[in-house]
Amino acid sequence: MTPVLRLDGVSFSYGAVPALENLSFSIAPGERIALLGRNGAGKSTVVRLVAGLERPDQGAVWVGDWDARDCAPEQLARRVGSVFQHADQQLFASTVRDDVSFGPRALGLGEREVERRTDDALEDLDLTPHAAHHPYDLPPAFRKLAALAGALALEPALLVLDEPTIGLDRALRARVTRALLERSAAGVALLVITHDLTFAAETLERGLVLDRGHLACDEQLAGLVGDATRLEPLGLVPPPIAALSAALDLPGRPVRAAEVARELARVARGRPVP
Amino acid sequence: MRSLTLDHVSFWYPATASPALRDVSLEVVQGEVVALVGALGAGASTLLLVAADLAPRVIGGRLAGTVARRDRSGIVLPTPWTQASGMAFTVWDEVAFGPANLGWPAHEIARQVDRALERLELVPLASRDPVTLSGGELQRVIIAAILAMDPGFVLFDEPAAELDAEGARTLWRLIRLLAKEGKAVLLATSALDAIPEVADRVVWLEDGAVRAVGTPDLLADVAACDAGLGTSVATVWRAGGLPEPYPLTVAHAVQRWR
Repeated sequence: MTPVLRLDGVSFSYGAVPALENLSFSIAPGERIALLGRNGAGKSTVVRLVAGLERPDQGAVWVGDWDARDCAPEQLARRVGSVFQHADQQLFASTVRDDVSFGPRALGLGEREVERRTDDALEDLDLTPHAAHHPYDLPPAFRKLAALAGALALEPALLVLDEPTIGLDRALRARVTRALLERSAAGVALLVITHDLTFAAETLERGLVLDRGHLACDEQLAGLVGDATRLEPLGLVPPPIAALSAALDLPGRPVRAAEVARELARVARGRPVP
Repeated sequence: MRSLTLDHVSFWYPATASPALRDVSLEVVQGEVVALVGALGAGASTLLLVAADLAPRVIGGRLAGTVARRDRSGIVLPTPWTQASGMAFTVWDEVAFGPANLGWPAHEIARQVDRALERLELVPLASRDPVTLSGGELQRVIIAAILAMDPGFVLFDEPAAELDAEGARTLWRLIRLLAKEGKAVLLATSALDAIPEVADRVVWLEDGAVRAVGTPDLLADVAACDAGLGTSVATVWRAGGLPEPYPLTVAHAVQRWR
């Protein structure tokens, strides 16, 4: 199967400041990837390359069978839905619905299809009650969800999200997790930049860790996020749930809240009441 | 010594009928870190704007009740890119912008800037142009710029949002240190798991009003867990149906599990 995204020996610098060096990885349809690493490790640069906003100095970015170097951002948007950092600042229409429908309409889809995709995206993020609101009448967190809905409405093969949970409370983070898992189950691949390892563990499955522009690690999150010894040199800290699972040595070392709660209950039942 | 006193404060944003803050009374004393928690829209950011004298003075709206401020305050907003002066071509100059505007002598400006850069681990970035920084780097620059003005009372709104794990840890340690040096700190954060390490007191806001005040143990209460405001450990303990009291942190959980 053709990967939805393949980076092949990509290097990129901002003037004299190198951001990425010889970076290679690929993502299969439906895969859920966390792109992790310190501030300044090069994560947001990957997003800009994949969206076609930057061109690699060396190497190639393949979006399906398209060479991103030959594509304008609006062409790439047919396959990649991107939500940039601070996306809540980037809405421009006078209602949430108009903003979300802008992308599918720009793809040249028929009005009925635009409506369907817009309705689905709003519904997935529980934004339907806010559809008629002006985006800037909503709190920043809801604007952020509206930007995400705009990317969902493109129904792309790949969603690339830069820090989608900043400024969201736990309930809204859970809402984002639910929407992303639904899309992934339908075959959409996810590439999510995040510092929020709790969210990553709940939502994503494979972790790529960048360290000063290099790929330092590429493996399943379930084995990685509870491992403080390996995370620390990469500037990462286990999320509390994974740390708890490791500290109590729960069977199977689960890292998702529901699984940890289940194991806690199961193990506690088998123990004498203190 | 009291740094900030809010007495029966309500606040309405311009052209809104229902108040964003309702009858809030709160004191923050020197040497203390107080964390505001709440669901989105509960009023934490608004309370910081009122405490910083930005609301209603700058943004408009209407205030009822009284606010007494004893110390000069500095506020770190959740949107660092809106807080940069845009007039500095190096990180050093950006951090010096505030102290320079306070009219301090050059040697005092340099001393405060160097100290702030050191504390935020920004010395290697001192000659970088702020526009070339990552989100997390810029957030640290803004925090340094506020601290370089040596405010007695520091307000932080989601100060770790853009930071990576190391940056966040450094910041929480620094906030403890600021309190130890005698500053008063009031912070709003959704990083609930950091609060046991950083805060002396927690104020739970709900719909603009104070619902509860307590030690960080408040975040292990059933009510807090059910409102989505428990720490991760307390919340998973409750979800597993284990008995109260719920542990607040991993360390507490390990003790209880033995």
